[in-house]
Amino acid sequence: MSNPTPPVGPGLPEAPALVTDTVTAPAPPRHGKKAKSGKPASLWTDAWYDLRRRPMFILSVIIILVLLVMSFWPSLFTAIDPFNARTCDLATARQAPSAGHLFGRDNLGCDVYAKTIYGARNSIVIGVFTTLITTLVGGLLGIVAGYFSGAVDAVSSRLTEIFFAIPPILGALLIAATFRGRANSILLVIIALAVLGWPMTFRIMRAAVITAKNQDFVVAAKALGASAGRIMFRHLLPNSLAPVIVVATINLGVFIAAEAALSFLGVGVQSPDISWGLMISDARDRFLEAPLPLVFPAVFLSITVLAFIMMGDAVRDALDPKLR
Amino acid sequence: MRVTKGAKIVAGTALLALAVAACGGGASDSGGTAAGGGDTTPVRMEIGEPQELLNPLNTTETEGSEVLAAIFEPLVEYDENKQPVEAAAESITTTDSKVWTIKLKSGYTWQDGTAVTAADYARSWNYGANQENAMGASAFFSRIDGYADVHPGEGKTPTSKEMKGLKVVDDLTLEVTLAAPFSQFKTMLGYTAFYPLPASAIGPDGQVTQAYGEQPIGQGLFKMDKPYKKGTDTTVDLTVYDKYPGTKPKNWTKLQFKVYTSSETAFNDLQAENLDIHDSLPPSTIATAKSTFGDRYHDEPDAAVGYIGVPLRYNPEFDNPEIRKAISLAIDRKTIAETVFSGTRAPADDFINPAIPGYRQGACTACTYNPAEAKSLYEKANGPKTIELGYNADGGHKEWIEAVANNLRSNLGINVNPKPFEKFQGILDALDAKEYKGLFRMGWSIDYPSAENYLTPIFGTGSIGTGSNYGGYSNKEFDDLVAKGDQALDAAEGLKLYQQADDILVKDLPYIPVYFYRSNFAYSTKVKNVTLNLLNQVNWSQIEKA
Repeated sequence: MSNPTPPVGPGLPEAPALVTDTVTAPAPPRHGKKAKSGKPASLWTDAWYDLRRRPMFILSVIIILVLLVMSFWPSLFTAIDPFNARTCDLATARQAPSAGHLFGRDNLGCDVYAKTIYGARNSIVIGVFTTLITTLVGGLLGIVAGYFSGAVDAVSSRLTEIFFAIPPILGALLIAATFRGRANSILLVIIALAVLGWPMTFRIMRAAVITAKNQDFVVAAKALGASAGRIMFRHLLPNSLAPVIVVATINLGVFIAAEAALSFLGVGVQSPDISWGLMISDARDRFLEAPLPLVFPAVFLSITVLAFIMMGDAVRDALDPKLR
Repeated sequence: MRVTKGAKIVAGTALLALAVAACGGGASDSGGTAAGGGDTTPVRMEIGEPQELLNPLNTTETEGSEVLAAIFEPLVEYDENKQPVEAAAESITTTDSKVWTIKLKSGYTWQDGTAVTAADYARSWNYGANQENAMGASAFFSRIDGYADVHPGEGKTPTSKEMKGLKVVDDLTLEVTLAAPFSQFKTMLGYTAFYPLPASAIGPDGQVTQAYGEQPIGQGLFKMDKPYKKGTDTTVDLTVYDKYPGTKPKNWTKLQFKVYTSSETAFNDLQAENLDIHDSLPPSTIATAKSTFGDRYHDEPDAAVGYIGVPLRYNPEFDNPEIRKAISLAIDRKTIAETVFSGTRAPADDFINPAIPGYRQGACTACTYNPAEAKSLYEKANGPKTIELGYNADGGHKEWIEAVANNLRSNLGINVNPKPFEKFQGILDALDAKEYKGLFRMGWSIDYPSAENYLTPIFGTGSIGTGSNYGGYSNKEFDDLVAKGDQALDAAEGLKLYQQADDILVKDLPYIPVYFYRSNFAYSTKVKNVTLNLLNQVNWSQIEKA
């Protein structure tokens, strides 16, 4: 680690002309970060150190953990199984909250609390899988386009622009409505959102790769005869990943909101599956009469989306040194 | 032949409904500028967009019929006892239910000034029946002798342009001979399809002109001010016709139909007094309507019926009537009517609606709620373990279908998958293409107030394909009883035979009756004396401006 500027300040004129690396020097961290002794702080350890001290990040992680537990083991939170029709009693439709039914009952007399808890799973599943697909597809294409540039880049960039030109909700609606009933409704939502979601990841990955590929270490790797694949995945990928992770985290929240929008419009998740968007849509007509069956899933939806966006923001702040 | 689309408002998709509803507020305030004597602000009435151009021969749905009923005078109207009374006709007589003599009242003129004659009726009925004109209401003429010549069926060419059963005796007398005696013929004549068209309606190419369909000339109370362009115009504007010989409204002359894509939006307009009459209040507004409109809110029996249809022709799984009975017993009609529909429907207990003579309370014994018996019956009959339940997503059916699905799931212990279709036609197409084999929601709104109208068009063997027998039910005994009822000379005797046919339906349950409609309407403070007739059309001449 050669440093062109001497690490010592001007107040030490008698310092030896040649500064040697001293392992024992208890040098205080200069940038307010703690590096493990002996090793320079990498971007990731820096970021992690930074994140751990952000309340916004801690809060969003807690919310997301609760949501994950909720979607894997909803029965931990409620004893009522909303998929069992026997738990619904039409005669008690739109009943106000009571001890056994914390959030009251919906238009069909089903427990709103249990449905809200079970609704988390579809939102999380759709959010996570759509993000995975868009990140993989967009990221992969982005590296390739950024690294090879020229014709490959031109073609894939134009293709991305075509997809960018389609308004996302309108396009997803079109896909979901056209194929409705021919595939599992959850799968269909994932596909519809992924088809229109990957270009953003593509652009960010491509931009990051283009910046990284002109740096010395890449030139060095090339000079040493590394293959294109090795350069892309060993050198460029780790150094361009940060912005993609940020966007993926934020997008996860956005996809969850988009799923709710599609379900609300009637082309997303279909009954008897449960989704917050579907619950909001079902409760809409009677909102003035019984607002709670709409309010609770809407609040859960907002908190979930907010948690992912907050986490994305925190991660971006931590990963982008310029903002520090 | 009117299949109800639900809350009457027919919108493309849920999305479209949203989009249009969102901009509905701005475009709606165009009335109130007409000139003329008396009170010139119009009485404003809610409708959904008519499906076709305004041609009585091609209008088989409720919205277009509502407009046409204001422009035309039917041959018969219906009194409080649901019996037909002459309106544009002076008398309608028969001795054998086969040959009917219709004498017209003199004094009726077309709104362009010329006199209405019996020949006008004959011409338009012949036009409507002719297969080559492809009019939606052609089946209404099928009982007239000679219908087979003008409407031989798909793939064949008509051998005549005129039905031999129609004979113009003189300017005001029309003699109609039916192919077979039909005791309910007079009752039938109040329907939209039997309105006459003037000679000028038919263009040089022998077809009803586009211009006529946009601005029909009738012989009734109201005359259209300007053509109505479907899809772009949001109102249909009318003025009382000076030379109308019947009763005219006391203190107003202008009528305006406002076209809405969402009945909720229309209700908001009604509350804001931007609308005067709303006759298809959706269930979600009932609580508000009751409390804010008080005695300006009305709830009356309506002659329509809602069913769960069984695809007998398409799926042998439902062949065993015991399975259908078990499904029927598992549906909690009373609670559905009370909570899902907020009392805007009544639990069905017969195939004939209580608004029509012939209804017998509790006739459908399998229409009660008995979960225990339902389960044991269903298990004994080994009914399907998974059932699909199709419905059209554009008519506000989702909630009650979900409620029925929950009933079946918990009472029969089976999987039920509600399946939304964009439009009602989509269900029928999917059934025909054999892509869909499940149960489907079905509704029936009468064409004329006779018990027979709940039997032949929906369950008659002859109505498969040409009529509205979408399930494909066919039972010889039933067909025979209805035919006998048609031929009865005595109304009471005929009714008895129809009821015997009804008994067969109750036993067979080709469809499962779920609810009877009720009509819910409310009106603004600007009008009073608002009443609906048996066909759910407003009695305009009785309305007064407040």
